[in-house]
Amino acid sequence: MDVLNNLLDGFQIALSYKNIYLCLLGCIWGTMVGVLPGIGPLAGITLLIPATFGLGPTGGIIMLAGIYYGAMYGGSTTSILMNIPGESASVVTCLDGYQMTLKGRGGAALFISAWGSWVGGTLSIVGLMFLTPFLANFATKFGPPEMFAILLIAFILLGSLGRGSFFRTIPMVFLGLLVSTIGMDPFTGTLRFTHGVTELYDGIDFIPVAMGAFGVSEILISTEESLVRITHRVRLRELLPTREELRASWGPIFRGSGLGFLLGLLPGSAHVLASFVSYLTEKRLAQKPEEFGTGRIEGVAGPETANNAASGSAMIPFLGLGIPTGPAPAVMMIALMIHGVRPGPLFISEHAQIFWALIASMYIGNVILVILNLPLVSLFVNMLRVPFRILFPIILLICLVGTYSVNASTTDLIVLLCFGVFGYVFRKLQYDVASFILAMILGPMMEMTFRQSLMRSAGSFSIFWGSSISLVLMVASGLLLLWNIYRELRPTKATWESALKEGG
Amino acid sequence: MKKILGFSVFTLVCFLSLSMGLIQAADYPTRPITLINPMPPGGTLDVQARAWAAVAEKYLGQTVVVVNKPGATGMVGAVAGAKAQPDGYTLTVASVNFTNAIEWERANGRRPPFNYDDFIYIGSFTMSPTLVVVPYDSPYKSLQDLMKDAQAKPGQLVYCSGGLYGMSHLPIAIFANATGLKFRHVPYKGGGPCLQAVVGKHVDFAFQYPPTSLPLMRGNKLRVLAVAGERRLKSIPDIPCFKDLGINAEYYGWVGIAAPKKTPPPIVEKLREATKKTAEDKAFNAMIEKPGDEVYYLHGDEVRKHIEKEGKTIAEIDQELAKEAPKK
Repeated sequence: MDVLNNLLDGFQIALSYKNIYLCLLGCIWGTMVGVLPGIGPLAGITLLIPATFGLGPTGGIIMLAGIYYGAMYGGSTTSILMNIPGESASVVTCLDGYQMTLKGRGGAALFISAWGSWVGGTLSIVGLMFLTPFLANFATKFGPPEMFAILLIAFILLGSLGRGSFFRTIPMVFLGLLVSTIGMDPFTGTLRFTHGVTELYDGIDFIPVAMGAFGVSEILISTEESLVRITHRVRLRELLPTREELRASWGPIFRGSGLGFLLGLLPGSAHVLASFVSYLTEKRLAQKPEEFGTGRIEGVAGPETANNAASGSAMIPFLGLGIPTGPAPAVMMIALMIHGVRPGPLFISEHAQIFWALIASMYIGNVILVILNLPLVSLFVNMLRVPFRILFPIILLICLVGTYSVNASTTDLIVLLCFGVFGYVFRKLQYDVASFILAMILGPMMEMTFRQSLMRSAGSFSIFWGSSISLVLMVASGLLLLWNIYRELRPTKATWESALKEGG
Repeated sequence: MKKILGFSVFTLVCFLSLSMGLIQAADYPTRPITLINPMPPGGTLDVQARAWAAVAEKYLGQTVVVVNKPGATGMVGAVAGAKAQPDGYTLTVASVNFTNAIEWERANGRRPPFNYDDFIYIGSFTMSPTLVVVPYDSPYKSLQDLMKDAQAKPGQLVYCSGGLYGMSHLPIAIFANATGLKFRHVPYKGGGPCLQAVVGKHVDFAFQYPPTSLPLMRGNKLRVLAVAGERRLKSIPDIPCFKDLGINAEYYGWVGIAAPKKTPPPIVEKLREATKKTAEDKAFNAMIEKPGDEVYYLHGDEVRKHIEKEGKTIAEIDQELAKEAPKK
């Protein structure tokens, strides 16, 4: 049992006082940047890089990794309690999490999300431990056509995201795609819809958009009804999930772990995609999909598990090959490189100590985070007892400060506020804002991979079924599309009855 | 009336003495210095700037706070840096991205939002060439193989970069221009995804920087064909550089520090001295070398000259590239 021996050695290093302390520090800091809207793990890790100059490579990476997966735990808090995505992977948690809070089940949602995070996080470390070299190589097989096929599946699933009718979802999807085209064309450098504004060259970042469309619009809506809204005392029993809620979340937690782990391997901000795909999958599999968006625990458990699992597997290409596929692993890799440890294909064999200490510390860190987060549940839920007229200005202020602090950009603030009003108007008109945001995330990725593929193949579409992976994925997306159409068109009992009634 | 006059004289004196204090280089710096980095957090450039900030503190006697202000390939941050108070308390991370951005804007007939002369250059501390990398089992054993094949199949070989007209696209464009070869370009979002595409054989080759490429070479995932510069690298002495191969296609990723153009000369001198000392500092050298780069110090005036030279090369390339881009 080579792996177990190595892991034991790893635990010996990770369990030193210094490393436990650093792990704890990383986890607390990660939870904080996760909770604070706007600031995500990337900013959190970057801020602490200078602090690792004085630490060894092992201590440094233990702390930074703690921030990364810790942020996934913290991100759900504001999503669930205030409808403000704490970081990008928790956008989708708002949909059902906040509805649960309105029903007085916010505590349960937080509990399940911490529990799911732990399961997802821990399972993905198991995967990381056994499969890193294999999966790192496997991940390089995913080129643009394979990525495009995966995104296509996500896009087809997107059609079922909305709670409202087709005509209230599809316009928002198109609007999202339209907004996502703003900025510089990544292939030709042509400026699209920038109107000479330099700040728009990079397009509109979806984080301030999501915070505006969900969070700020929520505040605006609340101003209409804050006098009416009753905050009730939360009893301990209400903090804990009921037996049905626990039972309902098992499936999503395990599916979320698997989905998150696989999608985390893909380049880009995979944990965002993982949380969305998990939500859409749960909705597709649910007995009553129409209840999603009204506060189903499955809509919290799945995505919150998936983003943690993805944050674990996102480290595989970086640990196994030295190729950071997302921004956060890139920063962690540089923190190692400053100490002369260069992650690469030989990293695990040459720096076995660091690798196994990191793995061991991630097991420890996940336990720390659960212990840390469960008591926080009651604290956060009690925060809701602060009268709304005091709480909401504070939330708005935190949103503004958080958004500004990421890029020191006033443009982001304008985006936040504009999309706050946008979200308010469209929610009042009962359009589906979540579809808008997911389209904004998927749009540029699909455009990029589609054009990359065609550039690679000199314009031939055969590249999309050229490799066996992309062929399978393409067929799967085709079948999914057909199934979707069939599900919509097939005669249901209700339509039969109404048809009979009309006929009779 | 007298009171008001007295008060206004008092405030004036206060104000003057305060501003004198700011300008007086003898005291500079008396408070923390902000260093604007126009690039997103986490890249090699960001880490090198942070390393400078961490070590320069020792020689300046004040903390240096790095603030990332990314956007529009560095133009947003550069504009903020150029417009800052010229008192030495707001500096900007200058890099080859300045030249990339300005020349691209010019080539497309736009007026760049900032210019080379908006800054006084304090100094630069790295100047790294790219490496020509191919997948490990690629049929190309040397750069000549690759060039021969490219000649036989013009426009068929595909390369990737970390972004259009960025630090890993321009060196290839310059190389293609110098050798008269034609390639197809597939841009990725960042150097990491591009390297993954090379390892996964989704593209034929790329020009990437040493810190991330060398470990992959040692792990038999990549083959390095050449160093795209005029000198070989210490860490891979047996790999030929462009000068050895008779190719004249230079492009370096350099990183340095700049101050707004009206910064008083004594302050500039002080900053230049601190940067020189930093570049000679052991700890700083270790921080740059351990990831696989080398410290290469240039005085501010030399930086300006280098920009002049590289600006010309890049302008020529960008005009070619702009012609290929579809017109509005």
